[in-house]
Amino acid sequence: MRLSWIRGRELRFAAVTAWLAWLTAYAPAQTNLVGYWNPLFHEDVDERIPGPSIGDYLGLPISDAARLRAEAWDASLLSMPEHQCKPHPSTYGFRGVGVLRIWEDRDDDTQQLVKIHTHIAWQEQHREIWMDGRPHPPEYAQHTWQGFSTGSWDGDVLVVKTTHLKAGWMRRNGLPLSDRATMTDRFHRYGDIMTHVMIVEDPVYLTEPLVKTNGFLLQPAGTMTPYPCEPVVEVVREPGFVPHYLPGKNPFLDEFGEHYGLPREATRGGAATALPEFAETLR
Amino acid sequence: MSAARLSLALAVVASVLAADVALAQPAPARPTPPASPREAAPIDLTGQWVAIVNEDWRWRMVTPPKGDYASVPLNDEGRRVADQWDVSQDGHCEAYGAGALLRMPTRLRIRWDGAARLVLETDAGRQIRNFDFGAQAPAGARSLQGQSAAKWVTPPRNPGGPGLAGAGGGPASNGGYLEVKTSNLSPGWLRRNGVPYSEDAAVTEYFARFAAPNGAEWLIVTTIVDDPRYLTQRFVVSNHFRKEAEGGHWNPRACGGGA
Repeated sequence: MRLSWIRGRELRFAAVTAWLAWLTAYAPAQTNLVGYWNPLFHEDVDERIPGPSIGDYLGLPISDAARLRAEAWDASLLSMPEHQCKPHPSTYGFRGVGVLRIWEDRDDDTQQLVKIHTHIAWQEQHREIWMDGRPHPPEYAQHTWQGFSTGSWDGDVLVVKTTHLKAGWMRRNGLPLSDRATMTDRFHRYGDIMTHVMIVEDPVYLTEPLVKTNGFLLQPAGTMTPYPCEPVVEVVREPGFVPHYLPGKNPFLDEFGEHYGLPREATRGGAATALPEFAETLR
Repeated sequence: MSAARLSLALAVVASVLAADVALAQPAPARPTPPASPREAAPIDLTGQWVAIVNEDWRWRMVTPPKGDYASVPLNDEGRRVADQWDVSQDGHCEAYGAGALLRMPTRLRIRWDGAARLVLETDAGRQIRNFDFGAQAPAGARSLQGQSAAKWVTPPRNPGGPGLAGAGGGPASNGGYLEVKTSNLSPGWLRRNGVPYSEDAAVTEYFARFAAPNGAEWLIVTTIVDDPRYLTQRFVVSNHFRKEAEGGHWNPRACGGGA
């Protein structure tokens, strides 16, 4: 074949076309997570539906600093206009209420996956998971409720790494997470069931990674309604007042343990309270 | 686009794909026997694992009060049976059946027995479950652990292409998980306070393993209990276990009474 007629443009076109064909043929194993998913509340229902009791830190690997912060927390904080419309951080949102919707952005020309979106109805928690290999921004970049997330595939399991989180919470009874927290979460799909696994690390408020799992059920005819939130003055307070308890002054810390007959060394949490041998100490 | 340009592009595409197909699928020299389940395992589940109980703590680490069946989708008959439980039955072996054994605060030891059976042993309740791959033996008498059929589930193999979809932080692996379907069960409890499942129940479990960023190895077991007699819908929970050194804190303690 004579090659003299081949010009640079043709070569570049052919090379790009071949590369795209190769990408398509060798895309890593993936699973389709797109759709509407209802959270299953067969686990931790007390924490996730009505809300956890004050002073319930059972099984959580919290530091002393986390315990101190939680003991100063007053639920009246949530009635302040500044706090009424806060979404959950991504380190908690998958445990909360509300339908989860997942969809994809694909490049129009290559059909390669660029981004996966997750959106949870309550307070419109919208998360972007970049799948295009971009790096995380420098530490000084803005921290947000959902953070900055990149994804990859471990076989057919979506694995997401999240950084740049605002200071948030690990439980809705004042147990905090710092803005140094990071999360790795995994999406395992088994037919119409999805197991979401989250591994949260926080050098400030956790003594070891916190691992939690959340179940979801696919809704083939799912829908989602908007969740507008407009803060209002619910309680007239003196300017500058923030509901809180000073150390040692929270009168509600022992109510939970007393109600269920659990000792304080259990309800105050810590990594040791999650181990089987701790159960033996309760007998 | 000119015909010449199109022809060139198609030729290059065909050449690239043909070359890769040729590389990825070399002609087999001679037939090889299929790998045994043990050889074909996409993940290694063997070793000792400890339950990290930070979910449903007060239903798992201690025996909850009679009638506390919050979040279990019981029907009226299931509630009626649960309400018959008495605290004198606390610790009975029904709490250690396949439907809820992995909810207990326990350690697991998983090992191969031959090439086609995985054995899972717990120190809590001193229970043993056999996960059999391939053809099943005829069903015997009903039992707490029932009869379990196992199979590996592996996603389509990733040949390591640099596709954009695989990018985004960290190397991709080929994953895979273990599916276990258990039937032929005797009645048991979903919780230590007698929340029941019946002999009609079927249990499906998925075992997945991964490494956390700090290097710790985790086993996640998703358990789905389907019981048309006592449940209004499937009961779905997931339990997480952390790998630990063999022998550490292994504390066999038998269940007492009941089944």
